[in-house]
Amino acid sequence: MEAEVCIVGAGAAGGIMALELGRLGVSVVVLESGPRHDFAERRQYVRKYLRRENPWQSPLEGQDRHTIGGRVAYGLEGRRARGVGGSTLHWEGYALRFTAGDFRMRSQHGIADDWPITYDDLEPYYARAEAALGVAGASDDSSASPRSSPFPLPAFPFSYSDGFFARACSTLGIGFHHLPQARNSVAYGGRSQCLACSTCHVCPTGAKASTDLTHIPAAEATGKVRVLTEASVLRLEIDRAGAISTAVYAGPDRVERRLTAKIFVLAAGAVENVRLLLLSRSADFPDGLANRSGLVGKLFMSHPSVDAIGRVKDNAYPYRIGFSTAMSRQFAVDGDRSTRGAFLLEFLNSAGPKPGEIAVASRLTGGALRRQVQEEFGRRLGIRIYCEQLPDRANSVSLNPRVRDYFGSAAPHITYRIGPYERSALDEGKKVAARILESVGATYVGATPLSPAAHQIGTHRMGADPRTSVVDLNLRAHDVPNLYLVGSGCFVTATASPPTLTIAALAIRAAEHIAAEMASAKRSG
Amino acid sequence: MISRRLALQRLLLGLWSVVTAAACRASGGARTVGERDATGPPSESPTLSAAELDTLLAFSEVIVVGRALLPAEHDDLAEHIEESARTNPDRFSSYRTTAATLDRLAVARFAQLELRDRAAMVARHRLDVRTVPPAQDLGAIADDLRIVRTETVPDLIDAYWSSPAGWAAVAYATFPGRCGDLGRYTRPEA
Repeated sequence: MEAEVCIVGAGAAGGIMALELGRLGVSVVVLESGPRHDFAERRQYVRKYLRRENPWQSPLEGQDRHTIGGRVAYGLEGRRARGVGGSTLHWEGYALRFTAGDFRMRSQHGIADDWPITYDDLEPYYARAEAALGVAGASDDSSASPRSSPFPLPAFPFSYSDGFFARACSTLGIGFHHLPQARNSVAYGGRSQCLACSTCHVCPTGAKASTDLTHIPAAEATGKVRVLTEASVLRLEIDRAGAISTAVYAGPDRVERRLTAKIFVLAAGAVENVRLLLLSRSADFPDGLANRSGLVGKLFMSHPSVDAIGRVKDNAYPYRIGFSTAMSRQFAVDGDRSTRGAFLLEFLNSAGPKPGEIAVASRLTGGALRRQVQEEFGRRLGIRIYCEQLPDRANSVSLNPRVRDYFGSAAPHITYRIGPYERSALDEGKKVAARILESVGATYVGATPLSPAAHQIGTHRMGADPRTSVVDLNLRAHDVPNLYLVGSGCFVTATASPPTLTIAALAIRAAEHIAAEMASAKRSG
Repeated sequence: MISRRLALQRLLLGLWSVVTAAACRASGGARTVGERDATGPPSESPTLSAAELDTLLAFSEVIVVGRALLPAEHDDLAEHIEESARTNPDRFSSYRTTAATLDRLAVARFAQLELRDRAAMVARHRLDVRTVPPAQDLGAIADDLRIVRTETVPDLIDAYWSSPAGWAAVAYATFPGRCGDLGRYTRPEA
């Protein structure tokens, strides 16, 4: 099989690139390791989710096998999804732009590194990504960097419980604003308005943007894009000139098949991109493909997170939507970030136990249990603290040759810890959250245990210098001319904001670059 | 007793299994060992007998509501038990153990006992206690009783309180999994 461009992965980055390239007339084959999840089956998936099962479980036994090390456990179960749509199948849908300062950590705070691009470079692509995904928001965040266009959709109104937080933040002088999200506040892009099903990890209406709905069908409709599902890439092979010639992949039958292309794009996430590079070592690349810098798999980051919880007398009416509608980014942007990480506050619309959880924890039965459930339910308010994490060489994705996946390939090994920079951010975040909760009239109960977010960042960072980065500012590998690595693995720093909109913007930018390069090559020859 | 709704669900499930099996045969059917179907039940998934289901529902009446289940409550719990048994081998095993243990302790069909006799038996054996201290001696059928108390009882209580009946107790007619009015979250419940 042949294509001009082979994309590995049909998630946020891969799905978006497929559509962009298809529209530009480039022939693309997407190799997706997971299945095509039938939208008609979403109700069944919702039932699984409500039974606390993972509806996006990989269909092949052992396909997601991995091991973990380091002082903080970072497991991948539930933190990624395979299939057409990738992790956009189960993401929260929060679609924030980074701010101008997020790209300038070294220049502004003397720590970590600057990105090789600026906010201004990316701004037009942010606008296109917002339009493509359908982002609902309002320009009420004074910390945000300038926009060239308004949000495509109106913001979701603040919730009933947001009202408590808004009053407290106003009293305390803390910024309080709408949380932008790729979710339909009104019908958009052929998808329905959100119907408040409260199961956003499995959106049964399609109101939440996911590339299986927003991009892949349109990409296939161009006639230039073909998506092969249950096609796991096992390794990439290089030719004598040092370029990739072939992707070797297999399906559930484990039979190896080959795809040749002019350009290869790895869009399988910050973990699988690394694994594939390390599995593709050769005489020319003994430490892994595109790894002459030694940085492939290094500097892994996420967003350490805790929930601060307060108890209130009156019912806050939680669990009526599955997402949050308000945030404060004041502490994610302002202030000194040289010794303490930035953090974002997400005001939760659902905190505390559900009726079933109260009942199971109770020792009562019958009418007494019923009264207890009624008295306990809804009496919690929560603020989630997402904190910025510094790149740290101790945090990495590597191979564990002792553990093999379904295909017999070495499984990924995640090593993860957080340091004083992150801990002091979380401590400060908890103090601020406690002040807000107390101002609301809540009794501060405490914080949940540390839980890093489902964001895998920074394992093949971008940069101008091949000695200190893996890809250049167009996401092309320094060491392999026809290889691009996309997704949050190319981020230089994590910031305190969710990564998906930046993944999308960078993917559009990279697709444009690839199409221009191909057109130029055709003209010259 | 099985309601019309439940009977229809069972019929549809049966038809689904037949259609799936036929489709597998038509496509060659040779799928590699270890492959699982992410979207539907395995074709060989175990099912509880009607008697076992009745026993579990009769147990639920004692430990969850302390009275006979209303028809809608009965259907929701039955649906939960059947679906969990079908999709979760561990849960299937704990249900089967629980049903057998209850019938054994009752020295008859547990489901055929009057509610007050069932309640007395549950109290006598402390089956409604959801925890078992590590040092507690549960006698000759310790493992089975432990499964009843630490696995099945919490599951059935959670299932009831996560069903429409449970949410109705906190005045929610719409709840996670049931879509509705987008504006509702902005105001207090009526």
